[in-house]
Amino acid sequence: MRINKVILIFKKDWREIRRNWQILLPIFVIPFMISVLLPMFILSTPSIISMPASSLAGIENLMKNLPKNIQTEIKEMNIQQALIYIMLQYFIAPFFLVIPIMVSDVIASDSFAGEKERKTIEALLATPISDDELFMGKVLVAFIPAVIATTVSFLLYSVVVDLYSLRLLNGKLILPNLTWLLLVFCLSPTVALTSIGLTVTISTKVKGFREAQQISAGITIPILFMLIFGQVMGIVILGPQMIVFLTISFLVANFFLFGIGISLFGREEILSKLV
Amino acid sequence: MHAIETLELTKKFGSTVAVDKLNFEVEEGEIFGVLGPNGAGKTTTIRLLTCLLAPSSGSAIVGGFDIIKDSIRVREIVGVQTENPSLYERLTAYENLDFFAEAYNVSGEQKKRRIRELLEFFGLWEFKDKKVGTFSRGMKQKLSIARSLVHDPNIIFLDEPTSGLDPESAREIKDLMKSLSKQGKTIVFSTHILGDAEKLCNRVMIINKGKKIALGALEELLSNTNKKILKIALRKLDQKVIDAIKCFKQVKEIRVDNSTSTVSVVLNASEEVTPEIIKSVVLNGGLILSVNVANQSLEDVYLRIVRGNNVEN
Ligand SMILES: Nc1ncnc2c1ncn2[C@@H]1O[C@H](COP(=O)(O)OP(=O)(O)OP(=O)(O)O)[C@@H](O)[C@H]1O
Ligand SMILES: [Mg+2]
Repeated sequence: MRINKVILIFKKDWREIRRNWQILLPIFVIPFMISVLLPMFILSTPSIISMPASSLAGIENLMKNLPKNIQTEIKEMNIQQALIYIMLQYFIAPFFLVIPIMVSDVIASDSFAGEKERKTIEALLATPISDDELFMGKVLVAFIPAVIATTVSFLLYSVVVDLYSLRLLNGKLILPNLTWLLLVFCLSPTVALTSIGLTVTISTKVKGFREAQQISAGITIPILFMLIFGQVMGIVILGPQMIVFLTISFLVANFFLFGIGISLFGREEILSKLV
Repeated sequence: MHAIETLELTKKFGSTVAVDKLNFEVEEGEIFGVLGPNGAGKTTTIRLLTCLLAPSSGSAIVGGFDIIKDSIRVREIVGVQTENPSLYERLTAYENLDFFAEAYNVSGEQKKRRIRELLEFFGLWEFKDKKVGTFSRGMKQKLSIARSLVHDPNIIFLDEPTSGLDPESAREIKDLMKSLSKQGKTIVFSTHILGDAEKLCNRVMIINKGKKIALGALEELLSNTNKKILKIALRKLDQKVIDAIKCFKQVKEIRVDNSTSTVSVVLNASEEVTPEIIKSVVLNGGLILSVNVANQSLEDVYLRIVRGNNVEN
């Protein structure tokens, strides 16, 4: 594999994406909503912030059922603080995974299915760039922005959350911590790759980039909802062990997905299926 | 060595046989025309020879390389203008050529010079920083041809190169093809414009339903048939006259053009029988404006070959 050819594909695709507001818009807006608007909304909801302690009495019992490690984390907080801490530390985490999934899905479907749909794939396939280089360049153009968007979102989220915790948790900073570092730097890149692998596989079968995007999202979003509800119901807690477990599971899934994606990405087959 | 040599080259899409056991050779420096009706398999043949599709069976050697085993080498040495312009609409004309130049391993000063040369030749230099999405169809077509030449390939495939171009631009492309061929480049092109084939090609291949139905130098194809056409322009068309002409056994076919009141009579052999035909037209009351004897044009030959082929099937 020639790295300069991989970079060439990457730069070409990125240039196209940069000029496409249909792609840029979701890439900027959704991470901003999740990393800034969502925590601000939670923090500014009066029913949580200024609820009289008495009305939270019922919740106290609920909290007693939380896993041991969380209990120790919130031991010295009052109920309001504990509630907000749990929201910011645990509840938003699965939402955060929407960022790498969505960014890589939107870009990969444009880069793979979109190039087919706009019929630019033919001249590209006629060049002496190998299948591997082409595939790698296109995976990277979806993967790198996904990782950057996730990291930047994490920084923004940290600022919002820490500004709050500095004031209300007696100078204690919530972020960064092990759970979130694992979430952002291990699980997020892994699920980004899962999303890309899915999109690539689907792109070889469908005509348009919208279809590819929707089917891929249709598969990944329900998994996220399972995580979200799992947490709300107290079945899953996105702690460090859970995140490592999920990362490994998705890595294994990726292994198979990319195997399928690469085998379907035979260049001399792509045009045959272009009807 | 042949520039291109195919051996029983075949491509099937499901039950459709798009290219059916094609065997042909193209010499170095030759301009080789591929003719055939819509859906004949011209584009598919070009895609097979440029390694865009893998053949279902058979093989081909292009520029000394096997299209199956050495597909990357084949892609390096051929240039292809695809049926669709296949350009990145969000990139500028310059950025498009820049990307493809790098993809074909052309870089640095050489790349800049080459791109400028091509854009200037095609009259696109002043639009070099405009997004291709804003280009007219003809401009895209020119840019797409420019792209096929960006790495100065020795074998060039052009899929309907003059489609969508104004007469002047079409002329420029044809002149370009001739001058490339003089430099020793091999050109394979498909077209529906028989006049282009007539002017440009050393040899043509006519295909229909994926099968080769004729191949050879144009003069050969034309002279083989040795048929003459008698064009009789009348003041007024009259069925009686047409029926009278039909009675001659030397008459193979009659075509009537109502708009010009002209009857074209295809004769089986020589024009020996002309005086008798004229006489019978006059006797049947036809008022003759003019009479012309012509060799069959390429169009006549082409249509006859293609139709003949259709009848057989
Ligand atoms: N990707 C494909 N899938 C299925 N069938 C195809 C595909 N590409 C071409 N065909 C079929 O193969 C046959 C040959 O098509 P091809 O495009 O080679 O014809 P052509 O000679 O270039 O026609 P035209 O003059 O219209 O450009 C047609 O019957 C077409 O429907
Ligand atoms: Mg065609």
